Amino acid sequence: MNAPLIKVTDIEKRYPNGTLGLKRASLSVSSGEVVVIVGPSGSGKSTLLRTFNGLEAITGGEIVVDGHVLHQRSADLRSLRQRVGMVFQQFNLFPHLTALQNLSLAPMKVLGLNAAEAAERARALLAKVGLADKADVYPAQLSGGQMQRVAIARALAMQPAVMLFDEPTSALDPEMVGEVLEVMKQLASEGMTMCVVTHEMGFARAVADRVIFMDRGESLCEDEPEAFFSAPKTERLRLFLGQVLK
Amino acid sequence: MSASRSRWLWHALSFAIVALLGSGLYIASKRIDYTWRWDRIPQYLLSQEGEEVHAPFDGFVALSEDGHSLTMTALKGADTTTLDGLASVAVANGDLVFQGDTLGKLPGQLRAGTLITGLILTLEISALSLVFAMLLGLVAGLGRVAKNPTAQDLSALYVEVIRGTPLLVQIFIMYFFIGTVLKLSAFWAGVIALSIFTGAYIAEIVRAGIQAVPKGQTEAAQSLGLSAAQTMRHVILPQATRRILPPLAGQSINLIKDSSLVSVMALTDLTKAGREVVSSTFMPFEVWFTVAVMYLVLTGALSFVVRKLELRFMARD
Repeated sequence: MNAPLIKVTDIEKRYPNGTLGLKRASLSVSSGEVVVIVGPSGSGKSTLLRTFNGLEAITGGEIVVDGHVLHQRSADLRSLRQRVGMVFQQFNLFPHLTALQNLSLAPMKVLGLNAAEAAERARALLAKVGLADKADVYPAQLSGGQMQRVAIARALAMQPAVMLFDEPTSALDPEMVGEVLEVMKQLASEGMTMCVVTHEMGFARAVADRVIFMDRGESLCEDEPEAFFSAPKTERLRLFLGQVLK
Repeated sequence: MSASRSRWLWHALSFAIVALLGSGLYIASKRIDYTWRWDRIPQYLLSQEGEEVHAPFDGFVALSEDGHSLTMTALKGADTTTLDGLASVAVANGDLVFQGDTLGKLPGQLRAGTLITGLILTLEISALSLVFAMLLGLVAGLGRVAKNPTAQDLSALYVEVIRGTPLLVQIFIMYFFIGTVLKLSAFWAGVIALSIFTGAYIAEIVRAGIQAVPKGQTEAAQSLGLSAAQTMRHVILPQATRRILPPLAGQSINLIKDSSLVSVMALTDLTKAGREVVSSTFMPFEVWFTVAVMYLVLTGALSFVVRKLELRFMARD
């Protein structure tokens, strides 16, 4: 197996008021792997994901992403972030730009593509997520599922080495969850390295190479999906699965 | 149908109340000993006065009924002379004048009167100040939300000091102290004082507009590798502008009104022009009502534009 693309060792995040957001969380994601993080609300799984591209600063431990070492105070986050795509629960599309402009802004400003190259790349990606006809539409005119697919395409436009998904379907109406998961499955099958925080156990079971269980700021255990769901290793995981799978 | 009819009734009531207040004012003004001379106001808006006419010899003046011609009778001897078609007269009926005294003015080219000249100066000062105030406000507003502590400190200090002291005091300091040190003209002292004052308020408007943009926008932009400056320029400011524009326009209405304070620096803006006309005519009532209406026309036009802007921006949400 390749060297891990993301290697997180015993990281800790302590908030200014003293509470611990993360304690002793560790994981690694290898190239081409799909890792799903599950856990109860407030367990720190979103916080953990957000440390991978420096959106959350850590107060201890070490993170290595694609060769970049993130210390407690990292200087060069920009070059790291170009290699890490991020998809948010609330989509966070730029409302003043069309779908096409949402996709081409960063490639033009950060990678220095000219307008034609960026637009070409954007159209190809919009077509890939099934929204070729929505290029000139503003986010407000899109449904939740369409917005999240545009957001995924926007992250892909930077041609990242790894994609992070922070509860990508949690803000969606139930009938729109499928279309987003479909796009994510397709990405996984193309060999994209992915790290996904989600409550969609079906997705975890079907797509993940490994599933990690987090509770109270700790990464408690990890396993292949079959074993993870059928033979939970710890009592807390058994309790959690009992609640979400009933 | 009935709802819209009752609305009209309420509007009629509003009109009646305003009419009542107006007539009360009118009756009150009738009871004091004051001669209204509205007919003398237009010459201070647009004037046709040309060269001055001087008395050819010592003598008494007799004015015609319409006040546009006068006849002089010499003090010694029987000389008389009649001047016709005067634009304005500077003497009263029966006055004794001496050779060389100013009798009045001949008609000349139609030009802006004192009040209109003052209005133009008010517009110039307001427009220039608005441009500088917006630049200053943008910089200070960005400073308020910047990560750098020095930028935060300086812009917070600026906003607090300026908002915590009266504009009139700031104008005095700018004119008498800074103006003297830097040899500023009254005009530029006024423009700078107004720019600094309004800039502090615009800084707060800019700060509020930026902070109203959801945090997720910054996170998304930075996750894509955009720098802080690129995030501000391409993602945050375009969205903040929609929130900033309406209060910014409101602040520029305030600026026009605040500009009346520069009249303390011997700058003949609209307010100072009003004072000059009052002191030369003794018509304070007519002049100040006229000046108020002129300000109202300026600010009314601006707030009309503001309302149009607000509607347009609301429609886009």
